[in-house]
Amino acid sequence: MKKKGRQITDISVMIAGIAGDGVLFTGNILAKILKRQGWWVSTYKDFPSNIRGEPTNYTIRTSLNRIQSRSDEIDVFLAFDCGAIIDHADRMAGKGLLLCDGVGLSRYTPAQKKNRTYHTFPLRKLARDNFKSEIYKNMIALGALAYILDLDFQVIEKLISEAFLKKKGKEVVERNIRAIRLGCQQAEKIVQPEELHPLAERKDAGRLLLSGNEAVALGALAGGCRFFAAYPICPATEIWQWLAKYFPDYNGLVVQTEDELAALNMALGASYAGARAMTSTSGPGGSLMMEAFGLAGMTEIPVVVVHVQRVGPSTGIPTKTEQSDLNQWVFGSHGDFPRIVLSPGTIEECFDFTVRAFNLAEKYQCPVVLLTEQEFGQNLFTVKRFDLDKVEIDRGKLLSQEELDRMKDYRRYEFTTDGISPRALPGMKNGLHMVESNEHDIRGYRDEDPENRSRMMRKRMKKLLSAAKDSIPPKVWGEREAKTGIIGFGSTFGPIQEALAQLKEKGIGAKYLQMRTLWPFPAKKVGEFISSCDAVYIVENNYSGQLSRLIQSQLRIPARIQIKNILNYSSLAFRPREISTEIQRTL
Amino acid sequence: MKREKDFHLSEPTWCPGCGIYGIFAALKMAAVKIDLDPEEMVVVTGIGCHGRLNNHFRAYGFHALHGRTLPLASGIKLSNPRLSVLSISGDGDAYSIGVGHFVHALRKNIDITYLVVDNRIYALTQGQTSPTSPLGYVSVSAPFGTKELPLDGAKLALASGGTFIARGFSAQPKKLAALIEKGIKHKGFSFIEVLSPCVTHNKIITAQWLKEHISHLDEDHSYDPRSKKQAWEKLIKEEKIPVGLIYVDERATYGELVLPEKDQPLVGNDLGIDEQRFERVLEEFQ
Repeated sequence: MKKKGRQITDISVMIAGIAGDGVLFTGNILAKILKRQGWWVSTYKDFPSNIRGEPTNYTIRTSLNRIQSRSDEIDVFLAFDCGAIIDHADRMAGKGLLLCDGVGLSRYTPAQKKNRTYHTFPLRKLARDNFKSEIYKNMIALGALAYILDLDFQVIEKLISEAFLKKKGKEVVERNIRAIRLGCQQAEKIVQPEELHPLAERKDAGRLLLSGNEAVALGALAGGCRFFAAYPICPATEIWQWLAKYFPDYNGLVVQTEDELAALNMALGASYAGARAMTSTSGPGGSLMMEAFGLAGMTEIPVVVVHVQRVGPSTGIPTKTEQSDLNQWVFGSHGDFPRIVLSPGTIEECFDFTVRAFNLAEKYQCPVVLLTEQEFGQNLFTVKRFDLDKVEIDRGKLLSQEELDRMKDYRRYEFTTDGISPRALPGMKNGLHMVESNEHDIRGYRDEDPENRSRMMRKRMKKLLSAAKDSIPPKVWGEREAKTGIIGFGSTFGPIQEALAQLKEKGIGAKYLQMRTLWPFPAKKVGEFISSCDAVYIVENNYSGQLSRLIQSQLRIPARIQIKNILNYSSLAFRPREISTEIQRTL
Repeated sequence: MKREKDFHLSEPTWCPGCGIYGIFAALKMAAVKIDLDPEEMVVVTGIGCHGRLNNHFRAYGFHALHGRTLPLASGIKLSNPRLSVLSISGDGDAYSIGVGHFVHALRKNIDITYLVVDNRIYALTQGQTSPTSPLGYVSVSAPFGTKELPLDGAKLALASGGTFIARGFSAQPKKLAALIEKGIKHKGFSFIEVLSPCVTHNKIITAQWLKEHISHLDEDHSYDPRSKKQAWEKLIKEEKIPVGLIYVDERATYGELVLPEKDQPLVGNDLGIDEQRFERVLEEFQ
């Protein structure tokens, strides 16, 4: 039975309640159903950093087109309590539908409701009356959404079975399915046909539904990482949890350390001994790693640091998003040393750049930072399947025992034309050398001679010249001839792409430069892009415009070109319209 | 068969009479006794006068950050369990800036040997008070005397689950070498504190003073280092500083418990992964 309704191509469903209500669980199942029905999915978590008791909401957006942004509006709003309405009803679409468990809807006047439909939906009561437990309110809610969105029951039943059969048994599966059917029947009684948002049928396209953190973990596995050390921190922990599950099957090791100082030092030890090693962290953890970050630069040991940015400074807001740690990783730690900072903007890039981070680290024998964000780190997105054929492993100038045997006098920090010296591992014959955190000579022994110091400094820094050519170039999107430019890095990718389309609808041509390597700074490409514009908007989730400052410190920008910052430091990701409206307003 | 010269890279340049000479000698003796190969040995040192050991002891060397020798050495050992890994720290390194790592290395029981060179001051930075300086100790950083209690590494180690706890004296290199030898052979984390006088900055805790204030555990025939009770009793009696093997226990090492293949390095594996297995991993995201 296909319900009649409007032609839907893009829809957002918000589920809101109090932390502990099961908002996340319900939303994740809905996301997976939509993925299995062949729709693109993009989710947005807005969670407090505690386990129970504070308002929380989860938006599942689905579209026939590829999306990677929170939506401008909410079409269907399912609230476990009335409190959520006060916070979010303003964002509801013109013909939005609200189902709310609880009394109090009557106080909303038609003027407040505009054209939206508000229905009371007694989730808890239905759960208590039929299942003697409020926990079933989540599945009843899912049933109601299944009715409104006209979801495929076969898909739903299969998923519920996958979620509960092994862990909880057949009876629980059946009870949950009954709850979903009950929700569906109850919704049919309350929701009018014209209020429905039925989704067209599609087939599962075999895409993956996963978070950026999970994509990083997969990239690490595929990229040959076999040692991971970390300290628990939001919002980076999923990387670790995933690796902890799968690494042992691939002779990999995950170690929980006492702090982030130990995590990066331990990863460096493992890498020095030959394993591809990584750590992941966020916020304050990154600050603690600054010391060992410099050690990696000084001793020329490859290592990958994944830094999932959250709201700072200090403890900040651990479960919300920001892009304010660019300065830290591009400029941080004492002294000058080479580092590479990569900025993936999509889930595919999280996978791909992680693989490449290990290659860059080993080729240039320096630390590589993968700078991601809570926004796409912890939210789920549909992506095309990752292709293992494209994964290449390049260990750079790592010596084999045979090569080392042929060398007469091995010197770990030999001066070379590209600054990169052949690397022997401890345990190898004929490769004895010293690794010094102090300034050192070509054999690694402490050397404070000013001439040696100057040469060593140039040797290390020179590696960035080749790394700059080998790193991941910026990518230009949109209308190449346009005179209005947008520059961003990381998670602003999704909203900027949609903002481009919104501007186009208004007749404004614009283009977008996606920064994918922050350091070494891709001066030529960024310079060319800016020169081809009359106005450039730099879009960032931070207060001070860290990318904007970086660009303006690295390039001499002609006075005819206007540089404007669009900044959001609210702890929430950009919505596309925040960007397009600001550009329209100020252009 | 190796000889001491196989581990001797160059003549050291510590102050004449410095305790670290004795430690250097003991290290070479122990390495010869076990017949270690310099190429299969990694010595990780911290910041302080002991850090120069790497310049003179022939092996793979790593002069690490202040206080961070243990996590670094742990990473090396876990990544390649075939290596013999020694971590050496000073008392400032081990008990002040790096004390957090010390406690957790003991808990983990990673199979490395940890020498703490204890001269009871910060020598390289010109004699400031350290965590092992005695109460009231007058130094450039505490001209009116130290107000903090000294830290006892052996007590801390025993409380933190140490499986090999020993104390040596740099002026008795043969006895020290025997402890180091036992420590390296011990499966698990071997902690050896070495009393090592600083002749330049510490005029109180001198070699003579130490000689008068230590007692040798091996001279007490009733002492059983496998008894935790006896170890505690010995450590809380404040008469003399016990020297020798204080406590030894057998417990699975961290590597034995977590490494997929106990003696295989994570190094040197084919890093590529099987496509079919990868596809199965992706199923979770379907």
